[in-house]
Amino acid sequence: MKKKKPFAAVEPYLWLLPSILLMTVFILFPIFEVFRTSMSEVSKAGLIKGFCGLDNFTKVLRGSTFKLVLHNTIVWTVAVVVISTVFGFILALVLNNKFRCRKAVRAIVVFPWATSLIIQAGVWKFIIDKDYGALNTLLMKIGLISSPVNWTPTPQAYFAWEIFVGIFVTVPFVTFCVLSGLQSIDNSYYEAATVDGANYWQKLFKITLPLVKSSLTVSTVLNIIYVFNSFPIIWTITKGDPASRTDTLVTYLYKLAFYKGKSGEAAAVSVIGFLILCLCASIYMVVSLRKEEE
Amino acid sequence: MKRKLALAMVLAMTASMAQPVLAADSKTTLDVIISQYGTQTQAWWSQFEKDFEAENPDVDLNIEIVSWNDLYTKVNTLVANNNAPDILNIDVLADYVADDLLMPATEYASEDLQSKFFPAFWDASTIDDTVYALPILASCRALFYNKDILDEAGASVPTTWAEIQETAQKIKDKFGDDVYPWGIDMTTDEGQAAFSYYTWNNGGGFVDENGDWALNSEKNVEALNFAVGLVNDGYTNSDPANETRYDLQDMFGASKVAMMIGPNNIPTYLSDGGYDINYDVTTIPANEGCESVAMGVCDRLEVFKDDSAEDQDARTAAITKFFDFFYDDERYADYMVYEGFLPTTQTAADLLAKDDDTFASWIDILQSCNFYPATKTEWADVKQGVIEVEQNALLGDDVQTLLDDLQADIAG
Repeated sequence: MKKKKPFAAVEPYLWLLPSILLMTVFILFPIFEVFRTSMSEVSKAGLIKGFCGLDNFTKVLRGSTFKLVLHNTIVWTVAVVVISTVFGFILALVLNNKFRCRKAVRAIVVFPWATSLIIQAGVWKFIIDKDYGALNTLLMKIGLISSPVNWTPTPQAYFAWEIFVGIFVTVPFVTFCVLSGLQSIDNSYYEAATVDGANYWQKLFKITLPLVKSSLTVSTVLNIIYVFNSFPIIWTITKGDPASRTDTLVTYLYKLAFYKGKSGEAAAVSVIGFLILCLCASIYMVVSLRKEEE
Repeated sequence: MKRKLALAMVLAMTASMAQPVLAADSKTTLDVIISQYGTQTQAWWSQFEKDFEAENPDVDLNIEIVSWNDLYTKVNTLVANNNAPDILNIDVLADYVADDLLMPATEYASEDLQSKFFPAFWDASTIDDTVYALPILASCRALFYNKDILDEAGASVPTTWAEIQETAQKIKDKFGDDVYPWGIDMTTDEGQAAFSYYTWNNGGGFVDENGDWALNSEKNVEALNFAVGLVNDGYTNSDPANETRYDLQDMFGASKVAMMIGPNNIPTYLSDGGYDINYDVTTIPANEGCESVAMGVCDRLEVFKDDSAEDQDARTAAITKFFDFFYDDERYADYMVYEGFLPTTQTAADLLAKDDDTFASWIDILQSCNFYPATKTEWADVKQGVIEVEQNALLGDDVQTLLDDLQADIAG
């Protein structure tokens, strides 16, 4: 047997070294730092004063705001992910048909996703503004309303608009994930089903849905993570105001860290969010992949 | 061969990720963070840097202009990583002093410079009898009103709270939904200012006569109820929890808001924005029987300690030079005019008052202004706390209960 050269044994690790270093610096180290900060007493100026166990977690969980914010985060994530998945799926089905200007329409659908979130949120904030908003101006010009309507009279209305903007920017991503799945389905399945007398809905639920499931799983897991952690939309439109009624965990922890100087508690909120996300994403992955195997 | 080449490239990439080691330099380098006061702040400081370095070749200035939106995030991150700037321009102070991060001002401000400041401003950064910062500039808040709107509505300029309601009602009767009579800002950005305008002008405030927190005083409850009442009666802009002072200034410029309390640089803001309205300025209305109190805002220049500096004396000397150069009467007065703020030195104020009467009257008002209790360590919590109280009150919660809870939270 030919003896392996020592160089050959270490070579693969040398090739991996840059990636491992990058991952350590940009992923593992920040995660470690957040965990360390969450268990440290941090001064308002930002200096770590020592280990404090789970004090930061207790302080955060005891506050009444945290429950409100967690509730908002769940509503925000579920609403945006579920509704954009449904709409994205429908849109993908439409775009999978052959029609004129299909390429142009597909390009237009990408726009909301390709534009910066801050710009999107800023534009929507302007559109729904009571005094100068484009929506009121438009409706008044065409005579549907006579005086400006306040589209955001309550915090709930603001939150609903934010969810709408969240959906608007998330739909394209789902559409393109599903579309890539749809294009890989062989047409012969549908032809065989048609010969057997299957109707549209039967084909949709028995052929299309099972075959795009892996694409849907990927888009849903990624969306849960993106939307749960999304900061720009809410920050640009309301900054989580009034009185945290539209805060999610991410905007809340930002305020804790940079407006109240409570970096330790902010890190604790971050860790809680991280754990919730890990749990949700793993459950979803395990359940959907297991079903797929079955 | 290709393999070896590729391997060499991988190693080179890895090596390039290591921090480069900088060659030692005999010059003293000062990192300075200046907050952005206007669109042209960068230009003024670039020129300053050039002029300063030409006159002081042994000092290398590294000036960075940071917007107020990013300032706290940036400074907090720098401090947490033991990488604080040498000189920082900001409003907060107590948190850095609590961590013993700042140098006392007497260590770097020359005696000549110390004697230039108005005593009130020099004392404004005192904690435990030590002054920790130099006042960079001040601004003063007063009531701005649109003369044309008030004239057309047949309303007079309000001097009391009752008159605010009277004038607002007349404007509402005349203009309906087209004009908001009174501008109010209770946002996360600056809601603490609204708290000051109303509580100070009702004989209340953040602290009592002993300097202890007195957030839930009877006067404060009455004042906040009055302010929220203005909103509920429809006299104000529709969304006080989200419309910032800048939104109000734009609405004031567009004749959409008739009256608002704002800083003395509103004229600069309006002319820069191309607004052309007929307006005037007067004192902030107070409740019956109370004296009108103006609000002053004073930003600071602070010097961080740097234990890693090799030559402490050279560093301190460079900092002294920096301040002497900046507070040179002509140059400092020029910066105040440039940004539309009020000077904190008597000498620059005299210089400006010579050419411009409005400066003189603003500087007079400034002497009687109240300031935020920013030297108290709980200030950051109080500031955010009163904003939350205001926003909850806007949603219908009881002001007394909210302030009681805040007081208990802050003072224990």
